[in-house]
Amino acid sequence: MKEQLLSVLQLLKEKHQVDYADIRVHDILQENISTENQKVQSLSTGRTRGYGIRVFLDGSLGFAGSQDFSQMEQTALTALEIAKASRLVQREPVRLAEKDVIVDHYETPIKIDPFSVPKEEKLEFLFEAERIMRANAPNLLRTRANMGCRKEEKIFADTDGSYITQTLYETGGGIEAVAASQHDMQARSYPNSARGNWATAGYEYILEMGLHENAPRVAKEAMALLEAEVCPSGYFDLILDPAQLTLQIHESVGHPTELDRVFGHEAGYAGTSFLDPSMAGQFQYGSEHVNIVADATVPGGLGTFGYDDEGVPAQRVELITKGVFHNFTSSRDTAAVLGQRSNGTARAAGWSRIPIVRMTNINLLPGDYELDELIAGIEYGFLFSVNRSWSIDDRRLNFQFGCEIAYEIKDGKLTGKIFKNPSYTGITPEFWRSCDGVANEKYWKMYGTPNCGKGEPGQVAHVGHGSAPARFRNVKVGVADVK
Amino acid sequence: MLSKEQAYQIIDTVLKHTQGYDTRVQVSSNVVALTRFANSEIHQNVWEDRTSVSITITEGKRRSDVRTELIDAAGLKTAAEEAISNLKLLPEGQEQPPLVSEPEVMESDAFCPDLEQEFGTFNRARLLNECLEMLAPEYMAYGALTYSATQMALGNSKGIKRSIRSNSARFSALISDAEGGTGYTQASAHRAGDLDVVASFRTAYNKAQMNRNPIQIEPGAYTVILEPMAVATLLRYVASGFSGKMVMDRASFLTGKMGEQVFSEKLTMIDDHTHPSTQSLPFDFEGTPRQKVVLVEKGVPKGLVYDLASATRAGVESTGHSMGWPGRGGMPMHLIVEPGEQTLEEIIKNTDDAILVSRFHYMNPLNRRQAILTALTRDGVFHVKNGEIVAAVNNMRFTESMLLALKNIEAISSDRQAIGNSYVPALKIKNFHFTGKTTLDE
Repeated sequence: MKEQLLSVLQLLKEKHQVDYADIRVHDILQENISTENQKVQSLSTGRTRGYGIRVFLDGSLGFAGSQDFSQMEQTALTALEIAKASRLVQREPVRLAEKDVIVDHYETPIKIDPFSVPKEEKLEFLFEAERIMRANAPNLLRTRANMGCRKEEKIFADTDGSYITQTLYETGGGIEAVAASQHDMQARSYPNSARGNWATAGYEYILEMGLHENAPRVAKEAMALLEAEVCPSGYFDLILDPAQLTLQIHESVGHPTELDRVFGHEAGYAGTSFLDPSMAGQFQYGSEHVNIVADATVPGGLGTFGYDDEGVPAQRVELITKGVFHNFTSSRDTAAVLGQRSNGTARAAGWSRIPIVRMTNINLLPGDYELDELIAGIEYGFLFSVNRSWSIDDRRLNFQFGCEIAYEIKDGKLTGKIFKNPSYTGITPEFWRSCDGVANEKYWKMYGTPNCGKGEPGQVAHVGHGSAPARFRNVKVGVADVK
Repeated sequence: MLSKEQAYQIIDTVLKHTQGYDTRVQVSSNVVALTRFANSEIHQNVWEDRTSVSITITEGKRRSDVRTELIDAAGLKTAAEEAISNLKLLPEGQEQPPLVSEPEVMESDAFCPDLEQEFGTFNRARLLNECLEMLAPEYMAYGALTYSATQMALGNSKGIKRSIRSNSARFSALISDAEGGTGYTQASAHRAGDLDVVASFRTAYNKAQMNRNPIQIEPGAYTVILEPMAVATLLRYVASGFSGKMVMDRASFLTGKMGEQVFSEKLTMIDDHTHPSTQSLPFDFEGTPRQKVVLVEKGVPKGLVYDLASATRAGVESTGHSMGWPGRGGMPMHLIVEPGEQTLEEIIKNTDDAILVSRFHYMNPLNRRQAILTALTRDGVFHVKNGEIVAAVNNMRFTESMLLALKNIEAISSDRQAIGNSYVPALKIKNFHFTGKTTLDE
């Protein structure tokens, strides 16, 4: 394989005089198991293997991807022709930021290979989670459990001389309880909605997730929500738990700090950003309690890897420090515009896609508070948990999120009362400036999101978000009062 | 991209490996060539050729699924053997419906060679240059021009064969001035000469030029006129509620409401793959011939769509709406809304006070049972006063129940537009709630 890749790169460089070219090979194995109402819903496996060739000719890009390894030279020539066509509509040649030449191998550290665990054992683990939910709430409409694993073997080779191989493992899963009446349906899930929680890890991650331990609570809360009052509308102090903060960080910090969005690369599709480069070091994004990093090196994060898909090493980048915005996430072409080096966040969804700027692990760093202290500071408000709905505008300013459950806080204490259908809305910097406390590292938790969509053709990225519960003041809750 | 014969050969190879088991094999082979532009230049230009094979084996109450893109003899054998070995270890689950056995063959070839030529690599670049030349210096363009071709084939151990080959060109463009005043267009075609990229681009440019000096409106209830692009996005979510499985699971807003006067009498909505404005998929991903289903007739929900499993559970025939996802039920794919009597222009002319919306961004359900959706307006919002557009308006967020919005329809336009695989008019709706602004006050 290595000889074939180097030979094609040599052809592009020496015969066709390209500025730069790289080839990525992706070989991905996936397994997903889901159960519903104590029956197997699906057991599916998938395998994809192919390569993508990216060519820059006179500062113009061409890319071609194929599964046919016997046609690699032809695919390279297709990419070259596409670059020539791009050259017809080019205002400025694309420049790529400098990077080091690297020859290395990276592998996700795991304890138990998730593909080595018998499928029967995995099914029994999921059935047991369902049995516990059902035993605690026999009238549930539906119980669900799922788990999955993924192994991706990647090769990156380029005309600069880099040759990097990586083996990345991902594992994840979750449970859900659904209760319904003739007029309503309510769900609770653990550790998160939308297929649970995911990490770069082995099967040990599934065993340590606490799916069985949390099943009774999830089941009972789903039933209780059916009878609960609807969350009031108005302005309230809120605490968001990490399962909800994950998406809040993702949508209102992760996406707007992507440098390709800032430069308009996604304007025709997903949108742009309210940020611009002149705001770096100046803009008050949040309060002094808000410290957010893009960290592709944090152990277990779903956005953790050795090298990005441009061969740039994984890094930890300070995006927001004490509330002040400092850095974007970047690729080689976008970083070059600012005269910077890439901070290693260009990733492709597979062999048939080009690398674009993607979140790694966008983490809200822990603060100093005990959770009880955050709660004690609220006269009347709520603790919102686990996302169930999300929406944000194309500049990433106006967001609205729905959550699975609201826990009432009164006179500085959780009352035990719950509300259903909670939602809140705000404007990104105004919201983050209203943060007046983040819980300490004891409460800090990573969540993995394996479904971040961006780009055309569509690309789905696997990203992570770490956070601890955080308090926000005077947040607009619900919309029932808008007449 | 594979030919029909090559795809059938793969199906036959897999079926040989799985003899003795009820087996369904689907081959999807696609070429996508996409030229993306931003800041009025090409910044991404990509091509891919991709084939995947999905194998589903069922036996009694067991089902296993394997998907592979390793399509040589060894890869197919490995995938087939894995599907069998997974099936053997499974405990009993849901009762599996029998495989489709009739009709034996359904084949359709809508591939247009001239379209491939018209939207080849260099022609896409030339067309974009032609578009960009019309822009004044203060405007920039962003978007994508895509050519794609697909060969899908399906077969099973009952001996059915299904094949469809087609190709299409799609164009989307967003034009923006330095102040963020934008206009947007999208169009597609399945036949050569049907997609006028330059004319479509001009539409977006005209709208961007109108979208200047926006005024701010306050959250509250407004009469809105939704253009077809906004309507298509809205109805795509509404259509998902017409899944027979979702209604049985009590997850749909139609739970307990079938046959009732739920929406305005003005609204009739059909899922019709035979309509010339849609790209027809005459069978579904289980091989069932697709039926035309009247979803809403004069405001009354009448029909639901099913795949094999949900139809078996409901005791009805599958309507041929499987998406190929186990346990997900059927989904409408070819949405047609019957036209009204006035053109969009006439509706605007006959309106005293309303907000005209070009399209929506990032729509999601806030509450599925109450059909509450939320989204932002995008790329052109305008104030209509005394029959005329008098001002651009800043983007707003709406949060509204579709059970109420589609009951509050005041007018449906007679002119309709093909958006994706939907063919929809503009809608005028009263008492539509905008619930948030999108501006940062500093």
